[in-house]
Parts: sequence; C-alpha cells; structure tokens
Amino acid sequence: MPPGSPGSYRRRSASSDLPPLKPSGSGGVVESSSKSSSSEVAAAGGISGSVLSTKRSSTSSAGGTAQRKTGTLGLVTSIAEPSDRHHQQQQQQQKSGSGPTISSTKTKILQLQQELNKGVNGSSVGDDFKHLSKMAGDSAAAALSMSNLSNTWPNMKEDYELREVIGVGATAVVHAAICLPKAEKCAIKRINLEKWNTSMEELLKEIHAMSSCNHENVVNYYTSFVVKEELWLVLRLLEGGSLLDVIKHRMKSSDCRHGVFDEATIATVLKEVLKGLEYFHSNGQIHRDIKAGNILLGEDGTVQIADFGVSAWLATGGDLSRQKVRHTFVGTPCWMAPEVMEQDHGYDFKADIWSFGITAIEMVTGTAPYHKYPPMKVLMLTLQNDPPQIDTGAEDKDQYKNYGKSIRKLVTDCLQKDPAKRPTATELLKHTFFRKAKDKKYVQQTLLMAGPSLDIRVQKASKRQPGASGKLHRTVSGEWVWSSDEEDQQDGGSSGNKKTERRGSEDVHHGDGAGSVATNDTTITAENVGGVPNITSSMQQPNATSEQELPPVNLVLRMRNNRRELNDIRFEFIPGKDTADGIASELVGAGLVDGKDMVSIAANLQQLIQQRDQVKHLTFALTSGCLATEAPDEKALIGFAQMSISSE
Amino acid sequence: MPLFGKSQKNPAEVVKALKEAVTALERGDKKAEKAQEEVSKQLTNVKSILFGAADTEQQTEILIAQLSQELYNSNLLLLLINNLSRVEFEGKKDVAQIFNNILRRHIGARSPTVEYICTKPEILFTLISGYEHHDIALNCGTMLRECARYEALAKIVLYSDDFYKFFNYVEVSTFDIASDAFSTFKELLTRHKLLSAEFLEANYDQVFSHYQQLLNSENYVTRRQSLKLLGELLLDRHNFTVMTRYISNPDNLKLMMNMLKEKSRNIQFEAFHVFKVFVANPNKPKPILDILLRNQEKLIDFLTKFHEDRSEDEQFNDEKAYLIKQIKELKPSAE
Repeated sequence: MPPGSPGSYRRRSASSDLPPLKPSGSGGVVESSSKSSSSEVAAAGGISGSVLSTKRSSTSSAGGTAQRKTGTLGLVTSIAEPSDRHHQQQQQQQKSGSGPTISSTKTKILQLQQELNKGVNGSSVGDDFKHLSKMAGDSAAAALSMSNLSNTWPNMKEDYELREVIGVGATAVVHAAICLPKAEKCAIKRINLEKWNTSMEELLKEIHAMSSCNHENVVNYYTSFVVKEELWLVLRLLEGGSLLDVIKHRMKSSDCRHGVFDEATIATVLKEVLKGLEYFHSNGQIHRDIKAGNILLGEDGTVQIADFGVSAWLATGGDLSRQKVRHTFVGTPCWMAPEVMEQDHGYDFKADIWSFGITAIEMVTGTAPYHKYPPMKVLMLTLQNDPPQIDTGAEDKDQYKNYGKSIRKLVTDCLQKDPAKRPTATELLKHTFFRKAKDKKYVQQTLLMAGPSLDIRVQKASKRQPGASGKLHRTVSGEWVWSSDEEDQQDGGSSGNKKTERRGSEDVHHGDGAGSVATNDTTITAENVGGVPNITSSMQQPNATSEQELPPVNLVLRMRNNRRELNDIRFEFIPGKDTADGIASELVGAGLVDGKDMVSIAANLQQLIQQRDQVKHLTFALTSGCLATEAPDEKALIGFAQMSISSE
Repeated sequence: MPLFGKSQKNPAEVVKALKEAVTALERGDKKAEKAQEEVSKQLTNVKSILFGAADTEQQTEILIAQLSQELYNSNLLLLLINNLSRVEFEGKKDVAQIFNNILRRHIGARSPTVEYICTKPEILFTLISGYEHHDIALNCGTMLRECARYEALAKIVLYSDDFYKFFNYVEVSTFDIASDAFSTFKELLTRHKLLSAEFLEANYDQVFSHYQQLLNSENYVTRRQSLKLLGELLLDRHNFTVMTRYISNPDNLKLMMNMLKEKSRNIQFEAFHVFKVFVANPNKPKPILDILLRNQEKLIDFLTKFHEDRSEDEQFNDEKAYLIKQIKELKPSAE
C-alpha cells in the first residue's frame, strides 16, 4: 500500500487478554445491530471514520441522481432504463440483504466435527506464530516498493481530484476528475465492493478484458485501485457525454417525430461502434450491453464503446446458485437478444449484434422498440413477436418514411432471432448502409455542436428514462398533478429546492469530495419488517429535524397504474395534522389507488410514519393484487407497492 | 497471412524469423518500431500455423508438432517472455495466446511443453517476476495460471523461494495486477489438492506467517480475498492436518474474533466460516477453550444477533444455531 493511503485498517493487534467482543474497539457493533438487522446499520455501526464509504456507496447503488453542477461532462455509464434499473437495484438490494453465499467454505459442521473426532493433535502448535509480526513488517516494506512500478497513472486517491458526478448506475458512481500529478482529466468510476457480493474473479475478468483493449473505439482504461471498500476505475473522460444524452436533448429541443438523426450521422456513429465491436470480438470478448447509453462521444467526435466490464460483471456476479435467474433479469431488456433472455444454451458475440440492431432503431426513433413496457413484458415481446423494425414503435405508418432501404436492411440483418444468421461485425462493416458514413468532424458538427449544453447533460446523466413513468404528486394546494420529466425540471427550479430527482427509489445523493462529506443518511432495508428483501434506497436526511417542529414528511408511493406503468405518487404527511387513514382515503378519492388497497396503504403509511427515523421504505402486497395475466412479483412491484419517505 | 493454401513458410522458418526479430528487438540495433513490427508479423505467422487452416487438420497436426519442437529447440519461449515488455500491445497478447496453446498441447497423456518447461524452470520464474512490470503483468499472469494447471509446474513454483513473492504481489496498489496475482496464488494453493496439502504441511510456519500479513492488510480487497481463501483452505478435507494446526493456535482465534466484528459485512461473514471451525473442534486445546469460555456470554449474545437478516440462508442459520449451542454448553476442562 502506498504510504499516503488511509491507515484505518491497520489496527488488529491481538491483545493478550482479549476482550474482543467488548463494543469499545469498534464502536458497538453488537449494540447497534440489536436495534435493527439492517445491513447498513450493522455495517456502519463500527468505526466512525470509515462509516462513510458504506453509506455513500449505498446511496450510489440506489440509482439515479440529479447533479446540478455544471462543467465538463463526460462518461455516463451503466445507467439503465427506469424499469430495468429498478430491477438491477432490486437485485442488488436482495443481494445485499441475503449476503454472500460462499458455498465452498460451507462444509457442514457436523461433517467437520466427525473429521475432527478422528484425531486432533491439538497440543504442539503454540509457538508457531512467534516470529509473525516481524515477518509481516518485512513483507509490508517489500509491498511498498512494489507500488513504485512503472505506472503512469497513480494509484492513490490523493492524486485525483473528484469533480462533478457525471453518471450514476446501479453499482457505481462516475465522476469527472483531474489527475493532479499529470494535470490531466479523466473519469473515475467508483464501484462499491461491499455492496456487491461479487466474486473478485468475475470483477477481475472484466477489468482484465478492459485493460486488454487498445482500440480507438473502445473506452480507454488507465488504472484501478482500492479505496477503502470501493474500487476506483480510472478511465478516459469523454466530454461529449453519451449518445443517449444527445438523443434525449435532440428529442426535447426539436421535432423528432420523423426521426432523431439523419442517415449519415447514424452511419458515421454506428460504423465507429462496429469497429470497436469488431476489435472486441476479435479479442474473444462479448460486450453484452450495447446501447446508446453506453456509446460515448469525445469532444473531437471520437466514438467509443464503454462500460463493457461492469455490465457483464453484473450479469454473472454474486451468488452462483441464483445466477441463472439473475442473469435473465440483469442487463437492459430492451436491447437484449432473445438467446440471452432464454439462457438455455448461452450466447456468444452475436448477442452484441442484436443489441447493435436495437441501437440502430434507437438512433432513428430515439428509443428502443419496447421501451414503454415493463421488463417482463419486453422479454415476452422479444421472444414471442417477430423481430422489431424501425417502424415497430411508430404511431403512423409513414412516420419514418425518410429512412431508406439500406438502414432497414441493416436492422433486419442484425435482428434475426437465429444468432447464426446475424452477420459478424466484420461482415456488417461492409454493409451498403455504411457507404453513407462520414468522418469525425461530421460527428462533431452534427452531434456535439448541436448537443445538449453541459449543465443539461449533467442533469440528464441522472435521469435517462425514455417515456413511461410520469409522476403524480400533490401540490401545495392539495391538487394532484401529473408531470413528465421535462416539466419536473422546471418546477424543480421554481420550488426553490435544489433539483433532486423525484423518483422514489432512484433518489440518490452524493458528496462532492473524495470521501470527506459526512451525511446523516440512514438506509434501512425493510427486511426486519417484511421479512423479505425489499426495494430500498438510501435517502438523505439533510438535517436532523427535531420532533417538536413536526415538519411535513414527504412520501412517495410507487405502484403500477391501470396501464401497468410504474408511477410515483407524491404526497406530504403532516404529523399531528394528517392521519394515515385520511391520506389513504384521499388517494382513493383522487382516483389514484384502488379502493381495495386503502386499508393496506393506510396501515403501511401509519407504520412508516411511526418508524420514520429507522425505516424509510416499505414494500407491501396490494389487496387489489395484479392482473390475471401477471404473476405477483414483489421486486417488479407487480401486485405490490412501495412506500418511501423522500428527502425533498 | 495467406488466405488460400497453406502458410507460405514452414515452422522452422517462422521460428527462425521470429527468433531473429526478437533478438534484434532485444539488442535494439534496429529502430524499435521496425523491430516491433517484424516481431508482430512473425507472431501472426506462428498463430496462423496454430489456428489457421481448419480444413487441413492432418497437415496442421504435423505442423504444430514441428512448430513446438522448433520452439523448444530454439529456446524461443523464454526469449519471448524475457523481452515481452518490448513487444507491442497486441503482440504481447499473441505471445500469451501462443504460449498457452503450445502448453495445452498433449500427445495422449503426455504434455511435451510441460516436460520442456520442467527442464527450463526459469520460464516460470521469469513469468512470476512479470508481476513487477506493469505493462506485462497481466500477460504473464495469464501464462502463469495456465502453467499452474499442471501439477508438475505448480510444484516447481510452490517449492521455490519465488512463491513467497506472491504475498507481495497480491497487495500491490494496482487492483488488476493484485487480483490477477491473487488468482494465480489461489490456483497454486487449491488446484492440486494433494500437492498443496503436502506443501502447506511441510511449510506451515513460513506460509502462514506470510498469510497473516494478508489477513492484516490495509487493503480491503486483500483482506476479504485472503480470508475467503483461508476458509476454503481450512475446510478442504485434504488440508485436515493444516486445519487442526491452525485452529489450535489462540492467536488465530483472536484474529477471527476480531474479524467477526469488522465493519465490512462480507468480511464478518467470511470470518464466521473460519471461526466456526474453532468452535466445532471437539478437542479444543486449553488456550482456545479458555478464550471461548472467557467470552462465553458475549459470544452467545453476539452470535444471536449476527447477520439476523440472512434469513433465507438455511445452512448459515443452522450453523449459527449450532455454534450458539456449542458455546452455551462449554465447560472448563477437567484438569
């Protein structure tokens, strides 16, 4: 370890009289865990100096954020659509709830005991460890000199100055950063290792994959190192943001009804992506998550594929016994090839070609074909329907008539259900459509100059969700209003709040230093209440408000509407004034929830308000259940709803 | 590379050309770029013999046999590894690919390349020291792990002084290098059960005194990984003798009890799987028993509340309940 790194872990000198379980040494783990079985509380109950990373990361894992600072913007990675992000998050929560299952260490104790009974020579070991400390010292010195290897990118957090958050995914926060000794910009992706109970082997495999790439169209990896419980990946900063950012901006600022980009732009960008994919595949790697959100643009018009490591790692990480199930759910369903969904016989690099085809549609229409549907439905549609085409999501038949045969042929070629029939990346590069491709300059002119301004992009970094989920919330005057994301941005400003993404479980906050900001947030999984893993997220309690003032509590009720889309219903609860029953009947009266659910909503609201200091989220079954065609799914909030205390 | 027909050059020519190119690169008598280019070109030629022309299988077999023989005779593998830093980026990957492919080659039960490397162990030691060079660490790691799959080669590494370098490599600050080294380290200690059990027994003091340093590392990943591996090693029945020795030492028990209280839940959980072995031991030495007795109440209390939310993990809960019961029933030894 470098000498400058924090030494908070160097503490374990085994005392001779051993009071190891006295709470003094580590701040009372035993006591705090008795109050709640929450993982975060138990984990964070220890040494105060290092509490932060756990908490911060728990926030990062929770989903989106809205970052207001303006400035350079670049890499945005791993940001899923709302529905599937939701999924990843839930899985993650579930994982963090159920913890690692290390099967190999779990030899049955009884068996063990039998073996032990066979014979133990338990007397002669006493002095084996006499020279221990000395040896350890020597080796540490050797390790020190190792850190001076010829690595041009430093491995100490002190050498980097973290700037604004430019992306938040389910597992990681991405910052723009400055490498101080080199005076060079970079992007730093901070992955919380404690949150993901992932095998390091998987993680290594993917970073290995990243570092074995050296190609213009694949994001450049510089180095990686461990900071407390986080892994920091240092990557090239692409200041143009992601292709999805540009699409979103374009759709907002101009009429994209007849298509977002012209064919030349699409051909130019996709050709670069294909070159990256070709290299990738020639390396024996599969990306597994090709989509506009993972295609990044440099200021000079460079197009790079990003985020291949972690997405694949998401897919296979963690508990192997449940890998199959997870595997199906993790990823980005809208872009996912049928054979990946099926999971029967595995998949190969042709899966990327499918996703590439979906990305082509995305560049025409602005969204993936089935973006309006919840993930399970997307899986169903993808498996059952004919492959989507450019016109699949169109409202009018002629909507995309400006797009010619060659791009349509490209999409059809890529989106063949039989992977063997899809062309390889190399073959695709020869496709007639790419005769329309131009150079970097063109990308710069058509995409970047006309792209979103920096501050918008930063905001957008946190809220990439095409379509679907609008939000219902009660205004000060007590009316219920629905607002789209765009409107949200405006009223966010006028409400005088610093813009915070209003999205129940996607709420995230972040500190603006490299681990120096302590927040008072508490994250509690509701497992102790419900006994089942839950959708949770961390919420910010900016200031501990005293009980006497009885400030209004902001709540979010997340549930599906009649169209089965997830909606967030926001409302206030003023302790001492409102009652749970009153609010619940008001929700029913406003036509927002089914009358059958009034009682359960009231009961859970009551519980949440009473325990609001400890519990921020409750997920509960709805009396109204779900449609006959659906299976109740707590994680996907089918037949279930989630109520959260929001920090706004 | 020709698209049709067989390679223009036969294996002997290709190997000769590659050796000349690498030697030139080593001497630096040509312009570096030119020499690199030539090496890359010849590496591609070697690859085309190894992987090319799928339709001419019979032919390929013979060619590969010739190629291997040429590689052994010319001592080119070691030369390539020694100069790996000088080879350009894609070429480095080619070297590893060629090396591993040649290594996997077998004639019936015989692995000629393994036999060859046994006579040239400096290949292994050069690969190990590759971890000290940032630009080739992962390439060397790839080759080394492939070597570790063969018992004869793993044995050479385990019983060499160089094995102890791994205790430093797994802690270097660059995460990918450290974790790559850890995978190799783990492979060496777990792949060949009998070999590693024998090794651990014979070198118990030296290995575990080094291991202690990993468990006490400042680096979260090192601590977590090494604790997990420790659990796996101790619970592997091949390592029974090693385990009984480990769980007779009160210092080890103290360390695990401290690790149970780590801030990290993952580390707590891994520590649990080592701690349970101390408790389950029916013949606890007095110092161990004393510690457990001295902390009897606290341990029961602690374990009762330990990871209560892990409700779906039946085995864990069974084990936890069993430990609590065992600790409750602890009595001072008769003497």
